Formats: sequence, structure tokens, C-alpha cells
Amino acid sequence: MSLATDHEYEHIGESASIADHDILAELKRPLPPRGVARAPEPALAASGARRAERSRHGVTAGREGRNERLAMGPGQPRTTPGTDHPPCRSERPFPARAVEAPAWTRLSCGMLAHQQRWSRPQDLRSLARVVVVAVLVTTGCKPTESRFFGTTTPRHGPDELWINNGGEPEWLDPGKCSDGAGGEILWNTFAGLVQAHPATLEPMPELASRWDVSPDGRTYTFHLRPSEWSDGRPLTAHDFVYSFRRLVDPVTASKYAGNGAIFRGGAAVSRGEQAPETLGVRAIDDLTLEVQLEDPLPYFLPMLTFYSFMPIPRHLLEDLDRRGIDTALWTRPEHVVCNGPYRLTEWRFRQRMVFEKNPRYWDVANVRLERVRVAMVESATTALAMYAYGDLDWPGSNTALPAEFMDRLSRCADLQSHPYLGAYFYWINTTVRPLDDPRLRRALSLAVDRRALVTYVARGGQTPAADLVPDGLAGYRGLGLPLFDPDEARRLLAEAGYARGADVPPITVIYNTAEGHKQIAEAIQQMWREHLGIEVRLENQEWNVFLTNAGLTNFQVCRMGWTGDYADPFTFLELLASTCGNNHSNWCSPAYDRLLREANREQDRSARLAKLRAAEALALAEQPLIPLFFSSRPQLLKPYVRGFSGNQQDRHPWKYLSIDIDFDSTGPPPVDPPAATEAS
Amino acid sequence: MIGYILRRLRGLVPTTLVIVAASFALVRLAPGSPFTSEKEIPPQIRRQLEARYGFDRPLPEQFLRYVGHLLRGDLGLSTKYPQRSVNEIIADGFPVTLTLAGVALVWALLVGITAGVIGAIRRNTIWDHAAMAAALVGISVPSFVLGPLLVLVVSLRWQLLPPAGWGDWRHVILPGLTLGTLSAAAIARLTRGGMLEVVQSDFIRTARAKGLSERLVVWRHMLRGGLLPVVSYLGPAIAGLLTGSVVVEKIFNLPGIGPYFVDAAFNRDYFLVMGIVLLDALFLLVMNLAVDIVYGLLDPRIRYR
Repeated sequence: MSLATDHEYEHIGESASIADHDILAELKRPLPPRGVARAPEPALAASGARRAERSRHGVTAGREGRNERLAMGPGQPRTTPGTDHPPCRSERPFPARAVEAPAWTRLSCGMLAHQQRWSRPQDLRSLARVVVVAVLVTTGCKPTESRFFGTTTPRHGPDELWINNGGEPEWLDPGKCSDGAGGEILWNTFAGLVQAHPATLEPMPELASRWDVSPDGRTYTFHLRPSEWSDGRPLTAHDFVYSFRRLVDPVTASKYAGNGAIFRGGAAVSRGEQAPETLGVRAIDDLTLEVQLEDPLPYFLPMLTFYSFMPIPRHLLEDLDRRGIDTALWTRPEHVVCNGPYRLTEWRFRQRMVFEKNPRYWDVANVRLERVRVAMVESATTALAMYAYGDLDWPGSNTALPAEFMDRLSRCADLQSHPYLGAYFYWINTTVRPLDDPRLRRALSLAVDRRALVTYVARGGQTPAADLVPDGLAGYRGLGLPLFDPDEARRLLAEAGYARGADVPPITVIYNTAEGHKQIAEAIQQMWREHLGIEVRLENQEWNVFLTNAGLTNFQVCRMGWTGDYADPFTFLELLASTCGNNHSNWCSPAYDRLLREANREQDRSARLAKLRAAEALALAEQPLIPLFFSSRPQLLKPYVRGFSGNQQDRHPWKYLSIDIDFDSTGPPPVDPPAATEAS
Repeated sequence: MIGYILRRLRGLVPTTLVIVAASFALVRLAPGSPFTSEKEIPPQIRRQLEARYGFDRPLPEQFLRYVGHLLRGDLGLSTKYPQRSVNEIIADGFPVTLTLAGVALVWALLVGITAGVIGAIRRNTIWDHAAMAAALVGISVPSFVLGPLLVLVVSLRWQLLPPAGWGDWRHVILPGLTLGTLSAAAIARLTRGGMLEVVQSDFIRTARAKGLSERLVVWRHMLRGGLLPVVSYLGPAIAGLLTGSVVVEKIFNLPGIGPYFVDAAFNRDYFLVMGIVLLDALFLLVMNLAVDIVYGLLDPRIRYR
């Protein structure tokens, strides 16, 4: 039932790209990872300090005496510019003088003299690092010039917004879409029964102006407001019935058919055991829709804001079919019919999409921008350069800012960060020796210094956690398990029958090839070695290979990320249900399954939360996975963009955004008025 | 000559078949499938997805169907971009990549031949050393360093050209320079080497003895012979510009076909991988043929039979 997109590292994984995988990963390597691995805390702290130092020098250098300051790295004796050659080893401070235009000739000479050394990969890497650091040094956030990263003058009119979407979407069909890039577009081109409040994510009326809930919480009756498709055809409750049936119908082959399992009979229909017509959804009349649920789920309405539940223009699909056109192409701009705030008017493959305001959207009066231009830039570094240049106003929800830029960006006034409903953890295969012993699994968990991991390695403002469910999620009280307890870890290790960690057979951790995952794995390898003495091997795997092995539980320990779809503890807890296809630990507990089942049938909210909490405690006592941290979503946004609210799912409807053409970058920081207008 | 070309073209057929078979086998041997995802897909749904692409049939049948479609010019459907056929994707992206390669080639030839000729004519002077030093730098700096450097200086510092994207002439300059510089450097060295070899040959001495002006000697006689190594380098170099654009197109986010060489394989986009491999292979073969033909035009000693 969950979106497993793992936004944080999505661009590295799903849309694998050479730039992100290899070259830019190398380019972006911020500090020698072996330094990280050798001695976690002091070394990590030291490298953090060193980075800060570097950046500071960069800033100063940008302001005054650029040539000389840049010509030397921090802590290096000053030499006459032009006579020294830049040090090329990766351990040495960076020779940022490559930045300077007048220094071109010197750069060439330096390279000639060092021809032999430059050809080595690590030297290329260090040269590459020069480039990236140099980009940072010269763009944005110089105290005397600007508090912002790059230009603060829009390159377009006040009616327009330029954003990035991280790549080509797979489907633009609400019934078939399953990726972040598609979701971003569906949320802005279609309107469902309810919408999420842009800040709190509470369900608000959209096409349904009001709804009634039966006393048992299993039947919802939605009263629709009269509205139209973008081609002028009236939109009725029958369209919703068609769309929900189509979502679960196996013939549609939707990867998110599972979302329809909340409807009565949904699971059976998607398995092909029942006809789609038996689904618990019916139109009482043109503007009244009745929905019956399998369980009285308290998170039904939040879930209904998800794009899988947007309506599909049945008349368009039938019309295309009559004309002999492949109905899979209905979302192309030449055909598409939608009902949301924007409609697609231009789609240049892997180049850009252009969206114009849809005059037939029911709430069009509150849509501010006329046009939104969406780029499909996969490389986050490229997106950052475009942002600095002004070709993007917002790198978008689907662009993860690279960790090594964060120190720099965190000093910019246009960076904002919001907690995010995403967990990062390590699965443990609970059926192979030696990890079949829960005491050893708990020892491993307690030996991870999560605070150090987040502060020095992940560096994105994440929240360290040993829990699976974030504290405070929809009223949930988190378990608050200890973040780090090496003594208890050693005690458990001894209890498990290992006098020394070296007696434990070596453990292998797999992760998908990406710099961020690698650094985290190396830090954990080091922590387990230091605090427990356990030998750990790391193995990176290409994305598809990794997913296959994870799916088959063909590993000992495996990194994973999970993004919650709705603000309810169940979105995380269902991961460990024995029936959940995403449970890769081989751990199954009938008691746990029963607790979850009982919780979802529970009418009383606090009793339900208590049951869920008991389930989490039961599972984590057995430690089938090691939670590490909850993600955060740092966002860069041009200061002239208004109406942006942070929220836990990183959803930012374009209809609330606007451009402040009078923005003055030298003035006081802009104060954003509350964005969301309560829909009537 | 015509007969020679026809014979060479006929030779392409078995080569192409081998390439198709090999790429089909390799891409299917890779672990995982186009529908591997982080989130579990129910078996019922997976079967439907596979049926859409015919992956539910036995492999030999799939291969024959693929070859059958290929003969009709149909390269199949992409799995990563389910609303696009491979034909469409290539038709969208190939012109972009060709434009980029074209700009890079013009830049490479212009700079490379000029530097090479200067180096050869003014041998062992400061001009020669400067040109060859620049060439050495050009060969040594990889595009993933040069690209960001250009973005940094030209786009972000001087705000002259956009750092990425595609649309008008402003978008092609930086990637073109980035991609062409390596070839420019190689061409400069090859031109200089070729020219120096020719300088001492008898026909140059003859030309001088005939009393031809130095300019005619250089342009008509020396350059023609001196460019032979460049021409033989150009065939693979042009094909290399296509594959070399993998990195450059990523850095500058161009909608060309470059990134597919890598991404399609990562995504197990079977038909797209095979389509791209086939396109690249055919391009390389045709380029080699073109080089052989140009050789004959430049070197009077070569005749085609």
C-alpha cells in the first residue's frame, strides 16, 4: 500500500544514470571515505571541520584577494602565485585556483608538469572535486554579494514558474502511475474527491464538497460539486466508479493496484478472483458516490488524496478506442483531458513539459500562475547549476540536493528544510546464521551511533531514530528506543554466546551503488567493528541486481528506504507484516499480524494507536530491521516564489505558488503569508 | 567504386545479424527484469505487464518476433517510457546527438587542423610548443571536468550561456566545445605528425622544385597527404562522439540518445538497449566505409577493386 519510491535516493536508483552513478558520484565525493571508516567520531568531526574550513576560505576568497587566497589551500604556506603547482593528491587541500580565468595558463602548465600524476584515477577525482567545489565557491551566498544561491531575478514573467521534475515520468495516467515524477504532475493536473492541505496534509474538500461516514466507519458517501472535464464534458460520480474499478482491475496492470485494496473486495478483484464490477464503489446518482471499505481505516481520507484515486476521462479513452488510437497514449498533450488546475500543452520528450492553467478547473479563481514549465533534469548537480543561473525557480520535489552541497547551501537564505515521512534502515535476513539470533541483531542495532551518522555522514538534517514510526505521526507516541548504547550491545553479544566480536562470522551488507549509501555503509561497518569487533564486508550492487536480491531476501543485511504514503503509523508498520511483499527480512510473527489486524478494526483512535505501538515494540524487540534515521527534505526555492509550504510528504501544489516580481534581494527576508486558502 | 560500396554494404548484413543476436542474448542474461521495482508487484499484474511486451513467450520465439519486427523497421516498445516506441525515442534523440556531434566535429577540425598545421610548419618554435602543449591539455582533461568548468565560468560567472538544456543555438555551444576538445587535441597531434612525415617526401621536394609557391605546396600537397591519419581517425572518432556524448549529454541535460547507452541497460529496457546498440553499430560500420572511400579520394595510391 505504500509508495516505495525512497525519494531521498531515487535519482540514483530508479532512473540510474551514468553521471549520477559514476562520474558525478566521483566528482561529488566530499571527503576521503576511508577517513570516515577509520575512526568514526574524531575523524568524522575533523573532516566536518575541515570542510567547514574549506568553505570558509572559499567565501573569504570570493570577497577579497581572490587570486592569492584561491591559489592556496587552507593550512598551506602562501607561495607566489604562478610558481607553485597545484597539489593533485586527494588527501591534499583543493587547488581552487582552477576557477580563476587569468589562471588558465598556469593551470595548463601545472597540468603539464604533473602529466604523470594526473592520469591516475584518484587524481582525476581530486581535479573533479576542484571543479565542483569551485562551482560552489563562485556561485551564491557570498556574504557581501547575496544571501542567496545564484541569481534572484526571475528570467520569466510574473505569470510563470520554471521547475525541475527529476526526469521523464513513466505514466501520466493516474491509474498506472507509480513514480515520483509522474505523481508531481498528476497532483497538479487532476483533482480527486479530496485534497491535502498544503501544510498540514489534512484532507480538505476538492470535488467532493462534503461527505458522510456511516457509524461503523466502513461506508463513505461523497457529495460531488458539479464540475467539468477540460473538454467541457460534465464530470460525474460514474467517472469515479470507472476509475476505481480500472485501478484494481488486473487488466490495467497498475503497479499501484494494491492501493485499491482498501475498497471492499479490492484485493480479490486485483487478484483476478472477482469481477471489477463487484468492487465496493457505486454511483447513487450523477453527483453522489458511495464507497464501502474493507476495514474502517482512519487513514482512508488522507489516502484518498493520493494520485491513484484521481478520476479518468472514460469518454476520452472510449473515443480514442473508436478512432483506432492506442488508448495508452491518452495522456499525450494532443489528446489529454484532465480536471485539475493545470493541463499539459507541450511535451518534448526528456526536454520539458509546459502546463497552462485549466480554465475549467472548479477552483480556477484561486489558481495564480498561468504557466508552469517543467524541466526533466536527472542530475542534481546540473539542476543546481540551472537553479543558480536562474533557469529553474525550484529544483522540485524529485531532485535530492547532494549531501556534499549541504554545508554550503545551509548558509543560503533560499534553503529550507522540512521533516519528511521517509525512513532509512537496514533489513536483516532473520533466517541465516548468525543473524537468526535476535540478541545479535539487537546488539548490531545498539552499536550504531546514529547521531554521528546523521551529523557527519548523511548531513541532510535527518532525524536519527531507532524507531520505525516517527514520534508524533498522527498522534502516535514513538517508542523512543536508545539511539546508541555500546555497553548494552556488547552485553547482548556476550549473551548471544560470542565472547569476542571476532568470533562472529563476517557479515555482508549490500547496498545499491551510490555514493550516499556507500558512505553510510562504511560508517556503520566501522561502528560495528569498533564497538563489537565484528568483521563486516560491504558489497555494492547495481540497482536491478540489488532489487532482485532484496526481493528474494538473498542477503544478510540490506539497506532500504521507505516513504510513507499517508500520515499514519500503519504505512510503516505494514512493512513487517508477514503478508507484505515488501517485508524482506523473512521475519514473520502471527502475534504482530494479529495486532495490526485488530488495530485496523478498532474504532477508538487511541486504542488503535496503542495496539499499533504494542506491535512496533514487539517487532523491534526482535529487530528484523535496524532503523537508522528519518529523512528530511531540504529544498532550494528562489526567494521571489511565494505560497510554498513545507509538509511531511513533500507535496507542493503549484496552484498555491506565485511570483513576487517586486522582490528585493537586498531587503529584509520575505515573510510568506499563510498559503492555503481553505477550499469551500 | 560503386561495386566496391555495394559489396561492402552486403557485408554489413551478417555483421548486423550477429550484433542483434548478441545484444539480445546479453541483455536477457542480465539479472533482474524491466519490471523489477522497489515495491512488490503482484504476480497477476506482473503477468499483464509482461504480456504487453511479449515477455511471457519463450525466448526463441521472442527473438524471432523481434527480428521480424526489425525487418519491418519496428524497434519495439520501451519499458521505461511505456508511452513511447523505441523508434520514436531514437527519432527524438538522434537529431540532438547528431547536432551536438556536428558542432563538436566542426570545432575539433577547425582547431585541430589549424593547430596541427601551425605546429608542423613552425616546427620547434614557440608556436609549435604552445599548440602541442594545448593539445596535451585537451587530451588530458576529461569531459566531466571540462564541462563543469565551462558551466562555472561561462554560465555562472559570466552569465553568458545557459548551463544546461536544449532549445536554441545557445544551448549547443558549451556541450559542443566540451565534446569536441578531446578530438581537437587528437586531430592536432595527428595532423602535425602526418604533415611532418610528408614534409620530407619526394613529391614535396618535386613540388618545390617545380617552383610552386610555398602556400600551394602546403595547401595542395602537404595537407592532402598529411591529413590521411586524421581521416582514418575520423571514422571511429565520429562514432566515438556519439558514445562520448553519454557524459556530455548528462552534464548538460540534452535530450539526445547518449544517456540511453547506459541508462537503458540499467533500466533493463530490453528493446531500447537493442535499438541503441544496433543504431550505434550501424553508424560505426557506415562511418568506417565512408572513411575508406574518402581515403581513396585523398591518396592517389589507393584504388578500389
